[in-house]
Amino acid sequence: MNGGLGMKKGISGLILLIGLLLLLSACALSSSGDEETKDSEQKKDDVTVEKAEEKSYKATDLSVLPDKTKARKDTFVAGISAPGGVFLPYFYENGWDGNVTTPIFSPLVDLDKDGKPVPILAESWDTSKDQLTYTFHLRKNAKFSDGSPVTADDVAFTLTLLHDPAYTGYQDISLAEIKGGKEYKEGKAKSIEGIKVLDDQRIEITTEKVNAKALLILGGQVLSKAYYGKDYEYGKLDYLKELYSKPLGAGPYVFSKYVPGQEIRYTANGKYYNGKPKTENLIYKIIDKATSLQQFETGELDYASFPADDDTVGQLESLKFANVQVAPVNDYGLIYVNNTRPQFKDKEVRQALLYGMDRQKIVDVRFKGFGQVADVPVSPVSWAYDNEGVTQYEFDAKKAKELLDKAGWKIGENGIREKDGVQLKIRYLTADAEDAVIPIAKENYSDIGIQFEPEITDFNALVSKLSAKEYDFAAVSTSQILDPSDTVEDLSTDNPNNYVGYSNPKVDKLIQEGLGTLDIEKRKGLYHELYKEFTQDPPYILIHYRQSARAISGQIEGLVPDNYTGIGSSLPNISI
Amino acid sequence: MKQYVLQRFIQMIIILFGTSFIIFFLFAMLPGDYIDSNLSLTPERAQELKALYGLDQPMLQRYFTWLGNVFQGNLGYSLKHQESVTSLLNKYVWNSFIVALLALFLTWTIALLTGVLSAIKQYSLLDGIVTFFVFAAMSFPSFFISLLFIKWFGVDLKILPVGGMIDTGSNSTGFAYILEVGKHMILPVTILTLLSIGSLTRYFRTGMLEVIRQDYIRTARAKGLKESVVIFKHALKNAILPVITLLAFELPGLFSGAIIMEQIFNWPGVGRIQLESVSFRDYPVLMAFTLFLSCLTIIGNFLADVTYAAVDPRIRLK
Repeated sequence: MNGGLGMKKGISGLILLIGLLLLLSACALSSSGDEETKDSEQKKDDVTVEKAEEKSYKATDLSVLPDKTKARKDTFVAGISAPGGVFLPYFYENGWDGNVTTPIFSPLVDLDKDGKPVPILAESWDTSKDQLTYTFHLRKNAKFSDGSPVTADDVAFTLTLLHDPAYTGYQDISLAEIKGGKEYKEGKAKSIEGIKVLDDQRIEITTEKVNAKALLILGGQVLSKAYYGKDYEYGKLDYLKELYSKPLGAGPYVFSKYVPGQEIRYTANGKYYNGKPKTENLIYKIIDKATSLQQFETGELDYASFPADDDTVGQLESLKFANVQVAPVNDYGLIYVNNTRPQFKDKEVRQALLYGMDRQKIVDVRFKGFGQVADVPVSPVSWAYDNEGVTQYEFDAKKAKELLDKAGWKIGENGIREKDGVQLKIRYLTADAEDAVIPIAKENYSDIGIQFEPEITDFNALVSKLSAKEYDFAAVSTSQILDPSDTVEDLSTDNPNNYVGYSNPKVDKLIQEGLGTLDIEKRKGLYHELYKEFTQDPPYILIHYRQSARAISGQIEGLVPDNYTGIGSSLPNISI
Repeated sequence: MKQYVLQRFIQMIIILFGTSFIIFFLFAMLPGDYIDSNLSLTPERAQELKALYGLDQPMLQRYFTWLGNVFQGNLGYSLKHQESVTSLLNKYVWNSFIVALLALFLTWTIALLTGVLSAIKQYSLLDGIVTFFVFAAMSFPSFFISLLFIKWFGVDLKILPVGGMIDTGSNSTGFAYILEVGKHMILPVTILTLLSIGSLTRYFRTGMLEVIRQDYIRTARAKGLKESVVIFKHALKNAILPVITLLAFELPGLFSGAIIMEQIFNWPGVGRIQLESVSFRDYPVLMAFTLFLSCLTIIGNFLADVTYAAVDPRIRLK
């Protein structure tokens, strides 16, 4: 549930996951020639892709392109859902504003299509042997759009700003544990000890704890010290509010205009380190999911992403002018099970709950062939996904009954199982009135002697019950998963956000080890171990992986949406 | 009359206070606040943020802080949008207003005409047809009829835009801009009008029917007055009296934004802001906007009473 928060797209994603446009998802387009091939992982990915049944349809007839699309020779229009107008990284409160800042502000380090770090404004980085010290080497030709160079000072300023006591944004910099950061925040030090500017292009950052996620936090979007820091005083950040609507960064595009509720316009940045983007104008047009298909059909959009279903995919295909990719999304859906309740304490009961629910049917009803039953707590698009040796818990009422009998839950009054005076009753919280789980689980569970009562509630109410651990079952979905640790770390015994109330010493150890090394190969092995342990002692009920359909107008070349940056990383390469 | 107005005015102030109090506490008691909905925050960070936003203070204290600010003309700062509530609402509310105003004008004009017409030709074919159509129009769910119109006029015929307020990337100004916005307004205004015309037509029809049966109308006819004078000068004036109250209730509606319509047509109105502020527990926006609407409702009521008293001597005499 921790998925990706603290990074751009995370914030609102947690809440609204129905057909979010631009909450971009799977791709693994085979034609991405610019990606270096990484032998062993590449193979793994292919296996995943096959399982998730990725489909793609090529545009067959470009002559039927809508006139509006044909008329656009130097403008690319993409759909976005609901930005708010705070166009400053680390300060916006709305995930969509994060998408708006992506073309303007480039980070030092970003993720590639497999979720592995790649250098952007940093040419490279080194880590010390003890994995505590990071040295970023900035590109010599990296410039902000006003022509000034991106220097180590700017990076130091950005990181210092996040430690300011008045900072209220989403980035919790304390997670990176930069040496001396706490002292600075508390006003005990004038500067942060662990941030050392070596020269214009090199910065050294010392942390106090090895953390696999620190690289992305440290190597985030860079703010210009000259522009954003000229009025900076410790403890006072209000001056930045003036600059929310006037962004300036080192990204491929320069912000030109925001029409509230309508669109955001950009022009190509001639100072971009990798050369001016091929398409002069970029527009993010604000659309609603109810009519995004019509917008695409009439040529108002060059790119949009839709929740996949037969109707949408069929219609997109029948347009003939669109390249359509149907691929898994980088998140998953699950049902939290309150492990602190006496009914759910035993792992046999939780196993029985998994066997006893026809999850395949739930997924089929909800996604109509465009989803699959989730088996490990990470999306199939992640480098960490590995379901080898993982129990699948296919629907098996008989097995569920056996497990419940074995655990001592005997059929009692009204056919409901009970043990030590506690009845096996489940109150299921969901924020979705049309939740497919309700009818299916109700029927499945009553067959094996479990009473299942749904309760449809407002999302905030659900969350407050979660954090108070006053629930039996609660339906949630992760936001975009940037690191495999995001979704599992709150299951460790002493994590304050352990809403499941799960505790397993082996899991605790594996979670810690998974975060405690920067070596991806090593982490992969650790997470695989962890996933196997999770199927033995399931913390909750995994439900689905879903798919999305992305449509790109046929005249656009070079756009390769991926699961981590969306269309962000291919923006400089788009041509018409 | 002066005393009556004054009395109503004082009542109005008291009601406003009461409303603000109730609204504040209702919202504050909703489970979860702005920070709580973000499950990924560590408890320490959540605590820090709550302190920075003042959400850790007791409810009563928060209310008085808020009230004090309101008296100084400060409606607060949106947590979600990170800008002052006044400038935020100002950005969107007028977009809602122009659509609502035009729809209101059309609704009332058409409803008045059809209502009166079907009343004086009661049980005729015309009355039947009008009744059928207004009922049909008001029975359609708004999202359905919106999508249907978008399909017909936007996608199939391609004569009207699918949504939005301006063309993508448009830089038009002046008259061209007005034309462009006008073109985008056609569908939303039509649909809003269609949806609200039905009930109003029925009001006018009933009001008219009651009046034309009365003696003084017969007298007017007996005097040999022309039918149009009887209807529009003598009958209509009395028939629309009860509708003044209805008109007063339309006042908040002009600013509240039509949530579903705005969403489907991507109209940058205030409806979405309002909806978001509820789901994200953005208290300052929620409070300011709800209070603004209740102010308008109360003022609308006040105006209705005063106008009523002005046009209907029977009320004043009490």
